[in-house]
Amino acid sequence: MWEGMFSGMMTGITTTMIPVNIAMVLFGCFSGSLIGMLPGLGPITAVALMIPVTYGLEPTTGMVLLSGVYYGAIFGGSTSSILINAPGEAATVATALDGYPLARQGYPGKALAIAAYSSFSGGTIAVILLMFFAPMLASIATSFQSADYFALMILGLTAVSAFAGRGGVLKALLMVVFGLMLSTVGTDQTSGVQRFTFGSLELLDGIEFLLLAMATFALTEALMIVLKRDASSDSLDPKTIGFKSLKVTKKEFKLITPSVLRSSLLGFFVGVLPGAGATLGSFMSYGMERNLAPPEEQKKFGKGSLRGLAAPETGNNAASSGSFVPLLTLGIPGSGTTAVMLGALIAYGIEPGPRMYVERPDVFWGVIMSMYLGNVFLLILNLPLIPYFARLLAIPRKLMVPIILFFSLMGVYLVTFNDFDIMMMVYFCLVAIALRLMNMPMAPLLLGFILGGLMEDNLRRSLMIYDESMSFMWERPITLAINLTTIFILSLPLFRSVMAKIKQRT
Amino acid sequence: MAREKVGALIMLLFSISYGLIATNIPLTFLSQQETFTARTMPYALAVLGVILCLAILVSPTVDPAGKTSLAEETAGMDWTTAILLVITMFLFGISMKWLGFIIASILFLLAGFYILGERRVMYMLFAAIPLVVVLWAIMSLLLGVYIAPGEIFYKLGIL
Repeated sequence: MWEGMFSGMMTGITTTMIPVNIAMVLFGCFSGSLIGMLPGLGPITAVALMIPVTYGLEPTTGMVLLSGVYYGAIFGGSTSSILINAPGEAATVATALDGYPLARQGYPGKALAIAAYSSFSGGTIAVILLMFFAPMLASIATSFQSADYFALMILGLTAVSAFAGRGGVLKALLMVVFGLMLSTVGTDQTSGVQRFTFGSLELLDGIEFLLLAMATFALTEALMIVLKRDASSDSLDPKTIGFKSLKVTKKEFKLITPSVLRSSLLGFFVGVLPGAGATLGSFMSYGMERNLAPPEEQKKFGKGSLRGLAAPETGNNAASSGSFVPLLTLGIPGSGTTAVMLGALIAYGIEPGPRMYVERPDVFWGVIMSMYLGNVFLLILNLPLIPYFARLLAIPRKLMVPIILFFSLMGVYLVTFNDFDIMMMVYFCLVAIALRLMNMPMAPLLLGFILGGLMEDNLRRSLMIYDESMSFMWERPITLAINLTTIFILSLPLFRSVMAKIKQRT
Repeated sequence: MAREKVGALIMLLFSISYGLIATNIPLTFLSQQETFTARTMPYALAVLGVILCLAILVSPTVDPAGKTSLAEETAGMDWTTAILLVITMFLFGISMKWLGFIIASILFLLAGFYILGERRVMYMLFAAIPLVVVLWAIMSLLLGVYIAPGEIFYKLGIL
C-alpha cells in the first residue's frame, strides 16, 4: 500500500507542478476568495460559476481549479463574516460569532490573520490525513459491484438528510426525491424511451447539470439578496476598515495551537461523513472548544475569543478537505459543493467512484497534491492582500447583483449556446426561490439530481445480475454493511428525538 | 399555515402529477415483459414523494424557521425589483439570438443596474461595456470559442 501511495504522490506532484496547474491553483484560490467574500455567495455558487471556465481544460486541471475555488471561497467567506458580520454561507456563521466582535473591538487585521493561519493549518493537516485515508478507502472500494454502488448512493443521499438538522430530515429527503425526479427527465439510457420531455427536443438529453446548479444557487442567491433587501455591503465604507496590524503574538499563537490541532482532526473526520460537510465541521469544532475551555475563557466566547475564532475556521477548512474523501474514493459527495464538483467530473467524462483511483490517478492525486499548494497560496498571497480584497465588500448591490446574474446566465449560455437554456434557468430559479421561501433545502436537490442517473443504472444492473430479485441488498456482506449503516443513520434523528423526550420528562 | 406545510402540499400535488405523467411513458413490447422498465423509477419516486409530503403534513413542525407562515416570511420583500429582474432575464434570453452576445449583454446589465436604482449613465456604461467586451474577447479571441453575431446584423445587411 505504501509503495502505491508513494508512487501516487509522485504522480500528484508531477501533475500539480506543471505551470498550467500551478496557475490554476493560484487562479482558483484567488477567484474563490473574491467570490466567497461577496455577501450571500458561498462556495457552491463560487464553484458553479467557475465550472464553465473549466470545460475547455483537461479534467485534472479543471478539478484542480475547482478545488482551489472551493477552499478559496471558504476562506473568502470568513472575511465577510469577520468584517461585516455577513457570512457568505452556513459554514462561516460560527466564524462570525467571535470574529466580528474581535473586528468591532478594533482588531480586524488580527482576526483575519488568525482566520488565515487557522484555515491554513486546518487545510494542511486535513490534506495529510486525506492523503492516507483516501487511498486506503479507495483500495477497499475497488472491489465494489453495482449493488454496493447503489447501496452507497442511498447512503450518501440519506446521510445528507440525516445531518439536515432539527426538523429538516423529511424536507431534505423530499428535496432528494425531487432531485431524483428531475434526473429522470430526458431519454432513458437503457431503453431509449423519452421520459417527461413533453415533445421538446431540448429536453431529449435531460436537464443540464450546470444549468440546474447555476439556477438553484447563483441566480437564486442573487435574487434573494434583492428580495430580502440585503444591503449589508451598501453601508460599508472601505476607508473605515482599518488594519492596524496583521500580526499575531507568540502568546496568541500558543493559545490557539491546541484548538487548531483538535479542530483539524474533528473537522476532517466530520467532513469525511457523507452529507456532513463544512458547516457541521465548524459548529462542532466551535462547540468542542467552548466545552473544553476553562470557565474564564468560556465567558469570552461570543465576545471575541481567539479560540472561538480559530476553532470554527480550522474546522470548516479541515471538513472541506475531508469531504473530498467520499468524493474521490466512492464518488459520493460529502457536501453540496462536492456534489457540484461530482457533476463537473461526470461532465468531463470521468466515472466517479473507486475506479477513478486506478484509472485516473492523475486526477485523484493531482487534486490531493494541489491542495498543499493551494493552502500555501491562500496564506502567502491572500494574507497581505486582505486589506485590498476587503474593498470588494463595499461594491454596492445595485452593481453586484446584475453582474452575478449576468455571469450565471453566461456561464450556461457560453457552454450550450442555446437560448432555451437561459429560459429554463429562469424557470428553475423561480421554482428554487419558491422552495426556499417554503424553507426547503437546495443542496439535497442537487445531490439527488446528480446521483439520480447513476443510481438508476446501478439498480437496474443489480437487478439483472441477481435475476430481478432484491436479494442483492443483503447477499454480499459489504452491501449489507452499507445498508445497515444507512438504516442506522436514518434512525439517528428518531433516536435523538426520543432521547430529547426522555430528557424532558426526567 | 406554516410555510413548510404549504411547501409539502405543493410538492404532494407535484408528486401525484409526476406519477400520473409517468403512466404515459411509452414502453416497447420487449420492455413490457421486464420487471424494471423506464417507468419503474418514476413510479417509485412518485410514491416516495407522496409518502414524504404526507409525513411532513401530518407531523408537527419542529424547525422554528419553518413555523412562520408564507405571508410572514415574504412580508417586506422587494417583489417589484425581483420581478423586473426576472422579466429582464427572460428578455435577455429572447434577445440573445437577435441582438447577439455583446449588445444583448450590455443592454441586460444596463437594465439591471437601472432597476436596482443606479442612475449615473456614465458609471453604468463604464461598468457594463468593458465587462462584456473583455468577456467576449477572452472567449472569442483567446479561447477561440465561436459566438454567433445577432440575426439583426444579417437582416440589416451589415454582415
